[in-house]
Amino acid sequence: MSTIQRPTIPARKTSTGSSPADIGRRRRGVNREGLEAGRRSTRTILWILLTAALVLYGFPFLYLLFTSFKTPIDTIAVPPTILPKEWTMANYVNALSRSGVPASFINSVQTAVISTALSLVLAVPAAYGITRYKTRSGRVFIMAALVTRMVPPVAIGIPLASMMASVGLADTPIALSIAHTTISLPLSIWLMSSFFEAVPKDLEEAATVDGCSRLGALWRVVIPVVSGGIAVTAIFAFLASWNEFLFALLMTAVRSQTTPVVIANFQTQFGLDWGSMTALAAVYSIPVILLTLLLQRKIVAGMTLGAVKG
Amino acid sequence: MSSRKTTSKLAAIGGICTAVALVATGCGAGGPAPAESGGSSINVLVEAGGHAELQPIADQCKKDTGVNVNFVELPYDGLFNRLSSEFSSGTVSFDVAALDSVWLPSFKDALQPIDELFTDEAKKDIFPSLVREANVDGHFIGMPAWTNAEIVLYRKDLFEDAKNKADFKAKYGYDLAAPKTWQQYQDISAFFTKDGMYGTDVKGGVETEYLAHVLQAGSPMVLDSNNNVIIDNAASKQALDFYTSLVKDAPPGAAQVDWAAAQNLFNQGKTAMTQFWAHAYRQIPKDSPVYGKVGTAAMIGGSAGVAGVPGPWYLSVPKATKNTDAAKKFVKCAFDHNDLAIQSSLGLAARVSAFQKYQDQPGYESFKPLIETLNAPATATRPATAKWQQIVDTVLVPMLQKAVAGGDSAALLADAKTKIQALLK
Repeated sequence: MSTIQRPTIPARKTSTGSSPADIGRRRRGVNREGLEAGRRSTRTILWILLTAALVLYGFPFLYLLFTSFKTPIDTIAVPPTILPKEWTMANYVNALSRSGVPASFINSVQTAVISTALSLVLAVPAAYGITRYKTRSGRVFIMAALVTRMVPPVAIGIPLASMMASVGLADTPIALSIAHTTISLPLSIWLMSSFFEAVPKDLEEAATVDGCSRLGALWRVVIPVVSGGIAVTAIFAFLASWNEFLFALLMTAVRSQTTPVVIANFQTQFGLDWGSMTALAAVYSIPVILLTLLLQRKIVAGMTLGAVKG
Repeated sequence: MSSRKTTSKLAAIGGICTAVALVATGCGAGGPAPAESGGSSINVLVEAGGHAELQPIADQCKKDTGVNVNFVELPYDGLFNRLSSEFSSGTVSFDVAALDSVWLPSFKDALQPIDELFTDEAKKDIFPSLVREANVDGHFIGMPAWTNAEIVLYRKDLFEDAKNKADFKAKYGYDLAAPKTWQQYQDISAFFTKDGMYGTDVKGGVETEYLAHVLQAGSPMVLDSNNNVIIDNAASKQALDFYTSLVKDAPPGAAQVDWAAAQNLFNQGKTAMTQFWAHAYRQIPKDSPVYGKVGTAAMIGGSAGVAGVPGPWYLSVPKATKNTDAAKKFVKCAFDHNDLAIQSSLGLAARVSAFQKYQDQPGYESFKPLIETLNAPATATRPATAKWQQIVDTVLVPMLQKAVAGGDSAALLADAKTKIQALLK
């Protein structure tokens, strides 16, 4: 086979002596530099926004933290100061040695763990059924689940407290956990539904072809895929219970009072012990921060679950 | 495979945690089982500050009567909600409750009469206004546990300063001393308002101090004995005009100043005088610039003399309790050993004799002015209406906030009268 020789076209020279190819390369270079500069400025703006958001969200917590190390007169300084003039641990000693504080921590953990477990145990199958069977009753149910979120908590809290008392569960963490589940369950069902939606049905069908039952496919294939989503849901359910105040106020007494109520008790009719209150609040936030850090990867995975669904 | 293992691990951990939690839940971690019917253990519901007051009494009571007391502390704002919900349900988780005086009329139907505890001897040892307040519809339904009233706190170091004394006398023609009248209070406030300091504070965010001035001017507060609204009478206007006249000698933002703000300002050394609840004297932080430099005096007097609005708390026994005997034993015990509460962090009592026992001891200089204020003939408790808190929150405080911001006092009082009448209908 003979090869066709293409005539070589002499490169056109411009008035500057550069060929069009040179200009193209230069333009591409300029474009690339421009693009880089654009990216840099976008990144800078994003960093500024991120820092602003971080300061906005982080400052109250930092202020709380610094206040917990202030002396009594420093906590009420006019105008207020951000950093303590003199650092002290006295507030932590006061707060943690107050009667009922250690017990309230245990109660908070018990209540939050039970409430989270209850939420997951109920929300996972409910959300799976709703997303996979797509029945009209399922759609009604998922909308109805939101109704409890539309009612002011105090309207539920008082009757709930009476009901718990009448079944002999007054002043127990299990009663408060059930109450907290009424808050977290609707959110958990909605969250889990969105995570299950993101899992292709083909995965389950493949598992079924390999001999799995429907439940087996759910347990062995779907649950591991949505484990990030379960972690996110668990975190939200845990936080909902951990920080809840009103139900704890109405339903707990000697045996099951949780820490948010104890923290509020530093404000009395006769004054507010800022130092001890902030110290206990700072200590109370540690488990949640640790939990979030521990499950960070799962949470990120859960947050992005379904983000690439085609 | 690894994700399956992770899932299994998570499930196992979750299962173990749940099992442990559920097992532990059987008794909770907060303390002993709730008081049982007919037992010698009772639950006492208190506002958080009240626990410290009652603990020494509870300890003594256990020795004397064998009644064991478990305290349930709740924040002040939540206590009313809790009481309302339990009283309305008919099932209570407590056997004794410490009630703010303004709640007695609201909860009177849910409380047991404790008339037998109000012997003649007991009544003689309780401030007269408190005896009147504890009696609702002919029955005593609460035993005073501790009481408080506003007194005058002033900067002793500034008042005793030779230059200040000379300058004051030269300007006003009388000696600089703790104020006894409205005029003196105004003069001293104006005198010390200089160089970044203020003579006093004006509290637009709370109503009690204004109401004390109404009593000092010779009128009942807001309602007369027949529950007619009299907030627009001459005395109320005179009191409001005096109250707002102090704004020029007070830190800016008077409309937002409440108890906490006023206490902070005084403890920071920003104000030379404050009218404040007596307990604050013993709560001045040791690192405060005014610590050890504060003097005390009885509440100032108007045309009707000295007057204050007491802030007592009462121990009451709910009708729904199954431990009436033990509950009443504790209430009696709290009265018998009322003086023990004075050594608590709050440092207040309800019996005259308890205050008198300590009044001459160092550190308790606030007690004589407190006794004088509480015993003053014009001193009176707040009107006994179930709507009182609503009147305060929706009418009195907003009215004061407008008044200290420069509103017309007559128009504001007339408007307040209309609103209160509507609330009471």
